[in-house]
Amino acid sequence: MDGIVSPESDFATEIEILSFPVARVMIAHIEDDFLKRRYALAEAKRVDLLLGEEDDGKLLEIAKTSLGWRVERRSYKRGMTQVLTIHFADYLRNAVGFHDDHWKLVNRRMSNGWVVLEKRELARLVSEEVRAKIDRDLENIPKVDLNEVAPRLAGRAEEVRQILVKRKASLRAEELPQNIIVEAYPPCIRRLYDNLLAGQHIPHMGRLTLTSFLLSIGMKPEDLVKLYTSVSDFSETLTRYQVEHIAGLRGSRTKYTPPKCDTIKTHNLCPEPDEICQRVRHPLTYYRRKARLLEAGGK
Amino acid sequence: MAEQNFVQKMFAEYYRAHYKEIAPPSSLSQREFGFLFSREKMMIRHKSFTTPEELQRFIFTNAPSDIYYSSTYYERPTEPMERKGWLGADLIFDIDSDHLDTPCKQEHDFWTCENCNNSGRGNKLDVCPNCGGTKFRMEAWLCEKCLDAAKVETQKLLDFLISDFGFSPEETVICFSGQRGYHVHIEEPEARTLDQDARKEIADYITGTGLRLDLHGLIKRSRRFGGVGPDLDDYGWSGRIARGVYDVLASSSPEAFQKIDGISSRAAKSLGDDRDSILESWDKVSPWRARNVSLKTWTALASRGVVGQVSLIDTVVTTDIHRLIRLPLTLHGKTGLKAMEVPHNMLDRFDPLKEAVAFDEGELRLLVNDAHAFRIGDQTYGPYHLDEVELPMAAAVYLLCKKAAKLVQG
Repeated sequence: MDGIVSPESDFATEIEILSFPVARVMIAHIEDDFLKRRYALAEAKRVDLLLGEEDDGKLLEIAKTSLGWRVERRSYKRGMTQVLTIHFADYLRNAVGFHDDHWKLVNRRMSNGWVVLEKRELARLVSEEVRAKIDRDLENIPKVDLNEVAPRLAGRAEEVRQILVKRKASLRAEELPQNIIVEAYPPCIRRLYDNLLAGQHIPHMGRLTLTSFLLSIGMKPEDLVKLYTSVSDFSETLTRYQVEHIAGLRGSRTKYTPPKCDTIKTHNLCPEPDEICQRVRHPLTYYRRKARLLEAGGK
Repeated sequence: MAEQNFVQKMFAEYYRAHYKEIAPPSSLSQREFGFLFSREKMMIRHKSFTTPEELQRFIFTNAPSDIYYSSTYYERPTEPMERKGWLGADLIFDIDSDHLDTPCKQEHDFWTCENCNNSGRGNKLDVCPNCGGTKFRMEAWLCEKCLDAAKVETQKLLDFLISDFGFSPEETVICFSGQRGYHVHIEEPEARTLDQDARKEIADYITGTGLRLDLHGLIKRSRRFGGVGPDLDDYGWSGRIARGVYDVLASSSPEAFQKIDGISSRAAKSLGDDRDSILESWDKVSPWRARNVSLKTWTALASRGVVGQVSLIDTVVTTDIHRLIRLPLTLHGKTGLKAMEVPHNMLDRFDPLKEAVAFDEGELRLLVNDAHAFRIGDQTYGPYHLDEVELPMAAAVYLLCKKAAKLVQG
């Protein structure tokens, strides 16, 4: 629960191997998404740590044979010593999940489809793949009732559940503020919003961003339709359809969450990032933080 | 109406003669097709074909004004979107001169506000200066300079795809879009399975979005040694940054340095003085160590240099994994030109206004309402204003497609 699965396990190999299915069955019993994610993350961190101690050859072998990635040691620049490289498609499969600038493909050294990596970075990519695999596995795991099959484990699972409840309570502070606070909008949303109020043209991607953002912070679809139609000549039926589509009430029934900062930048909708922007990757995170700051300042 | 019927007749004639040349995309039965017809406003979508002959027969019989296929492979291409079953999608790049900031747009693009009919020249506006309206009718004329600008962006794109991403020329298929630009399709199995996030990273790479100069080695090492930075022959973005700086240094006049964001007038003056020696030092030692150039100035030069290195693709198209794109060797309903593949070794010399001409026989008498000057084939036509003229068929069809002229009987 602290995000740690002890790396230096002194137990015998059998116990080591058994610990995974046991953890898995306890998770299946508890059935909690948060717990599933934390567990996958903890296992991944452990893999990362263990792989970091392996030599290049072993690491390369695991990435190649167990994961099927194209990784090779090659000379990136003529006459230079050999470095670790990975094919960009295998790189992107997992690196897109990391947000530090140095993981962005545009900031990597790449030639002929091969991305240069340091050993610890390859270990990190492998562990991310492990996390994703466990995530997928746990997502589809059928419910298990331990009280029937293994009452002793059920007791341990209950302990885990207790800790889980405590953990979650402390995370509640992260929830979205109740009322809509325009002052807490991030700069990108603020600009789109102001443009909308001024009756200016907003490109498709911008409208999608604004709509999904406002819906996510709790604006009701009908209020949003009113907002759109009152300030411009949008047709009400079409606007209603689009808003409800984004809200997940129509069409594919997927509720759209607003795009993350990266995507907003890609589509040129990030005007002037401010200080809070530097520390977040998603407009909703910005909104939560700013709202908290405003609230603290108000009291 | 007579004009629309005439264009329809010409398109049908073209397809009767050429339907067998239309090559279907790979994995035909997994693709969705969409068609526009001149008499209907809505696109006919969710069509699919199992054999090339079936597709060709459909085109032969119906002569649509525009023909699109999905870059996406579906399990059930004829079902509504949410039930189609996504299997993969080609990697697609779109370069449309509409998105490029060419100065000639002031000459050949026109907007009319739908609200107050106010009108003017240049690319689309955000707001009408007269009434604040936000909807415009656009009128844009084929322009050689814009098409050339799109070609330059395409060439830069291909360099990224081949040198950096390692695709072969055979895997990167270039197509003229039939109107304002070029598409590049990659059907290679590797590319098909890339998800949206991966495609976004590729789009960011090509547009230089999120690029950090320091991560490519542009840093200050010490007072004594000055700075360090990438070399001209470095691979990937590192080399592009170095070449970008070189280009800016080599092509700017001393006065131009002053106009670059982040360069003080003092720094600009000393750059002007030392420019030649810095450029020379590139061959011998390292330019980054130049004594009078601060890291701030290098960063400003590099940021400017990067602008010339990126390729201005439409990021929406590349990140969209459910895109419909025009089928090569079919006609563009707004120009009467062919969308067509351009071999790599021909791109440099490719003249779309000549080689994409579909109607090269006969002439037609028209009363042209208003037309900006345009070239088709070797000849330039117009400008016209209420002129009765006899034009070669390609030019005539173009004006009819643009609804800028009427047929003259007899």
